Amino acid sequence: MTRFSLTGGSARALAVTLLLGAVSAGLYFLLFLYSDRLVELAAATRQGEKLYALIPIVIALVFSFVHGAFTGRFWELLGLRAKK
Amino acid sequence: MDTLQFIDINATTALILFLVGFVGGMVSGFIGSGGAFVLTPAMMSLGVPGVIAVASNMAHKFPKSLVGAIKRNRYGQVDIKLGLVMGVFAEAGVFFGKGLMVDIRDALGGAGTNLYVSAVFVVVLGIVGGFVLRDAIREKRGEATQGEPKQLNKVARWVRTLNIPGTMIHFKSINARISFIVIAPLGFATGMLASTIAVGGFIGVPAMIYILGLPALMASATELVIAFVMGMGGSLFYALDGFVDIRLAMIILAGSLFGIQIGAIGTTYVKDHVVKFVMATIMLLVLVSRFFYIPGYLGELGFTAELAPDTRSVLDGIGQGILAFALLFGAVMILKALMQGIREHRLATEAAAAAAPATPAVAPAAAEAGQLSPLGRFERFLVASDGSEFSAAAVREALGMAAKCGAEVHVMSLLATGAEHEALGESILKQELEMVQSNLDRIRTEAEAAGIKCQTHAIHGRAVDEEIVALADQVQADLIIMGRRGRRGLARLMLGHATAQVIGSAHCSVLVVPRAAHIEGRHLVLATDGSRYADAAAVTAARLAQFCDARVSVVSVTTPSHGPERRTEAQQAVDRVVEHMRNEGTEVEGLVQEGVPSEVITGLARERNADLIVTGSHGRSGLERVLIGSVSERILNETPCAVLVVKTG
Repeated sequence: MTRFSLTGGSARALAVTLLLGAVSAGLYFLLFLYSDRLVELAAATRQGEKLYALIPIVIALVFSFVHGAFTGRFWELLGLRAKK
Repeated sequence: MDTLQFIDINATTALILFLVGFVGGMVSGFIGSGGAFVLTPAMMSLGVPGVIAVASNMAHKFPKSLVGAIKRNRYGQVDIKLGLVMGVFAEAGVFFGKGLMVDIRDALGGAGTNLYVSAVFVVVLGIVGGFVLRDAIREKRGEATQGEPKQLNKVARWVRTLNIPGTMIHFKSINARISFIVIAPLGFATGMLASTIAVGGFIGVPAMIYILGLPALMASATELVIAFVMGMGGSLFYALDGFVDIRLAMIILAGSLFGIQIGAIGTTYVKDHVVKFVMATIMLLVLVSRFFYIPGYLGELGFTAELAPDTRSVLDGIGQGILAFALLFGAVMILKALMQGIREHRLATEAAAAAAPATPAVAPAAAEAGQLSPLGRFERFLVASDGSEFSAAAVREALGMAAKCGAEVHVMSLLATGAEHEALGESILKQELEMVQSNLDRIRTEAEAAGIKCQTHAIHGRAVDEEIVALADQVQADLIIMGRRGRRGLARLMLGHATAQVIGSAHCSVLVVPRAAHIEGRHLVLATDGSRYADAAAVTAARLAQFCDARVSVVSVTTPSHGPERRTEAQQAVDRVVEHMRNEGTEVEGLVQEGVPSEVITGLARERNADLIVTGSHGRSGLERVLIGSVSERILNETPCAVLVVKTG
């Protein structure tokens, strides 16, 4: 006999999703807040401040992990699931 | 040197970029391929120079590849060695490609890179889109499709016969040696394409399948390692020249991560050929869209007569319109398929529920019932198998024990869900299901041949530990038996430790069987600290020792910081257990030793040539639920022999 199931939602899942959503929103707020500075940093990198090149790499990693975890849980919580 | 041309991002551009990312993500989830072939031209249509569009696209893709690679590696689908080797050569390709882009930009300006990127798009999408369309038509007609080659094709066979001394590398996934001279150009081409249009997988995946002979599932998983290596390197190379507009990349990422899940789930509701039709249509529309920009670039560069502003504006408008239509077409097709599928699925589920006879009451959860007896009541086992070498010993020992105890065995495998899996596309997911089902069928056949009652479970889920515990509760298992992957250090920290999580959350005892372990019932080592948890483990160990006629070493470990009172308690705890076991007729020795508990216990097991360590578990609340108790966890990590963690309900 074969069974198929998905992990069910729970209050804890909701709390984790909301927390990740809040952190994600916070990160995007900071991104817009420092938008002009980021453009300046890219320009400075071109002028020879090569260490600034690490900044977009770190931003990409952090945003991807946080926002990726949030969106993954978001749809599951809304009940959008794959057909088995 | 000309100035950077980062576009101005206001609320409107941000919203447009988010929507473009969302639709691009949906498309990429639906067709199981990177959506960059849609996103790069979309960014260019919004006025982003080609080189910045490519650089920003790479920066938004490489962390996603890392997450995907880590997750799929947990299911044994990634050949890390091949991924790294190809990744290194791909990096060289990226470096070369990026250098070419910068040279073109320096020589011809932004229009030069725009022309180069557009031309590569037209050629690559023409070839790939054409192949996909041909496949879709053949599939719809019911003709045989390419799919995964069941046997190695001629090229792959020839590649494996090549023997160039000093260049051969053995790859465990295909159990073959391949010269890196063959791998180098494949990796280089993958990287070169990635640095130009940010979709190296168009070359990398088919090359691994058809030239190196990897199964499709493994090729697509290994591509994630390559994508990460070259994406990270490529992003850094571009970032060093200030070409990465991280604001742009992150807004695209925001939308794309929402969209990818919808697209991926959409594929589970439609036939394979529909996915391919949508994919081919989008690819060919993007190709045509790019084509309309080329005359403008040529004129700008002076290669042809410059277009009149009105003419250029019309052509660019047509290009934008076609691209917008491609995105809209993809979005509508996917959402339509998704909504229709969900509706049909719901109706079918309701109809099935109405037609079904009254269902029996749900069995009380083991969580509520607790484990009635930890006295080695081993009548129902749950074995977790992923078909890999790491779970083979667990399966073998489970069947061996079940045959002796007359226990019923439930075997489960996990089919991972989540965007990075669903984005693989329906055909690859089908292959994965077939692999899982065939592994389960093989185990069931083996069990039934040995006269063991066996049930199999293919479970869809995100976290293997949660699913194991849930199923153990559902079938009211007395014992969960699982393998150990042996991850340590950073990898363990990043991947989580499924075995430790199961022990922390399970309501029944857990037997962990490392790859090289054989439980023959020679000698048991029982670790006790005098707690009620250790007492439960002692009772179980006594039963097992009697059952197997095994000798037992009971050990309690003190540390230099312990006072005389604690040492006396330890001795009393050991004496109590030894007396109990002697009364039961077991050959037993009692020891109190000083040192690091996990080292003393595993060292004793090694000295006595023990085949099983029995230990208690410190409750299931708060942090301990996750950590199980550091001693038990360290024992699990350090010993090559099987470990039974007895839980006390």
